[in-house]
Amino acid sequence: MIERCKNGDRKAFEGLLLQYEKPVFNAAFRMLNNRDDARDVTQTVFLKVFENFESFDPSRRFFSWVYRIALNESINWLGKTNRLEPLQHEAVDEGMSPEQAVDSENLSAGVQQALMSIKTEYRTVVVLKHFLGCSYGEMSDILEIPEKTVKSRLYSARQQLKDALTGTGIR
Amino acid sequence: MAIDQKYTDLINADIDGEIGSSEKAELEAYLAESAEGRALHQELSSLCSRLDALEAVEPPPHLRHVIMNTFTPAPVAAKRPGFLQTLFATPALGYAATFAAGVLLTLSLVNSGQISIRAFDDVTGLVGSVANPVGADTVGAISVDETAIAGTVSLRSVGSILILDFDLVALEPVEIEADYTDKTIWFNGFAQLESSGTTISAESGRVRLRMEGKRRYAVYLQNEGGRATTVKLRFTTDGKVVHEASLDYASAR
Repeated sequence: MIERCKNGDRKAFEGLLLQYEKPVFNAAFRMLNNRDDARDVTQTVFLKVFENFESFDPSRRFFSWVYRIALNESINWLGKTNRLEPLQHEAVDEGMSPEQAVDSENLSAGVQQALMSIKTEYRTVVVLKHFLGCSYGEMSDILEIPEKTVKSRLYSARQQLKDALTGTGIR
Repeated sequence: MAIDQKYTDLINADIDGEIGSSEKAELEAYLAESAEGRALHQELSSLCSRLDALEAVEPPPHLRHVIMNTFTPAPVAAKRPGFLQTLFATPALGYAATFAAGVLLTLSLVNSGQISIRAFDDVTGLVGSVANPVGADTVGAISVDETAIAGTVSLRSVGSILILDFDLVALEPVEIEADYTDKTIWFNGFAQLESSGTTISAESGRVRLRMEGKRRYAVYLQNEGGRATTVKLRFTTDGKVVHEASLDYASAR
């Protein structure tokens, strides 16, 4: 399919889009916590993918390449909108009473807010692991860091998330 | 007492399903003896279950259409643009030129007994309205979110003219029928932002359009006296109706 895409086969492009649109959009959404931003980033990701097919190394896994572009674009977007710094933990509490916090919808929003409160390098590994279902090896490939670093970063991310959620009363 | 990193690694690996059988046995032996280890395992498992339980977010339905139409994947050999391409590529001339193209297209494709020379005279006078649709009041709008086609159609009104404004993206050829109930309303003109890609035919009480790709165009209906009417829209692909909707115009009187 990749070869067909390289040759400008529109149907093949559409097939790739069908396969990767949702995970890319979800990765961007979890990184940015904004549907409009995630939509724009998803568009940019596919534009870059389609424009740079020639530079794709076929010895690598295609999804690794696409996810790497998606995460980089999300981080760039955060930089452009000056939201690279984590939100203050207090923001997690905003408008949420302890009763509301146990409500499932708010629980999900609370988890997402907690995710936004940790640094992007930690959020990235959480997104790869929990929303894109990547293994340690795949994460290492995508982020181009040793597997050992992936593990320690994931552990730190989880500790920070745990603390952020505890701060909101969500356990 | 802090937990040895070896065991935090094993706890994480266990939760992530990346633990070997010998490591698993080692972890179980450790957990059997360490309340702190069990607590950490429990906390992290609970956190991960919560993260995994978050539902995937659905992308906007039209996103795929927009992406597919953002780029031209097929390698195209460079060629000199023709006069019309140059004309259409000039922003200031774009609307006026495409409007003229629309009128020409209409002249060549429309097969309507209703259309008079006067009608086209009127259309020519509407270039300003095409270039600046803000001048027209929006009467109503519908959204289309189907696999084959997505976007919006709005109905605008200015004087005795009704304007159907189509802003659509179609992944495959789609035929659109716009039926207007009042047969005294007649087709008055057509304008589009692109120089090609849409065809149109009109008959009494109905306009048929055929399009593919990302298109923005307007259909003009003459409604002398500002009578109330309903425009029924039917979107068809491969002979199958994929979407139906209607837009109402209340009498201006």
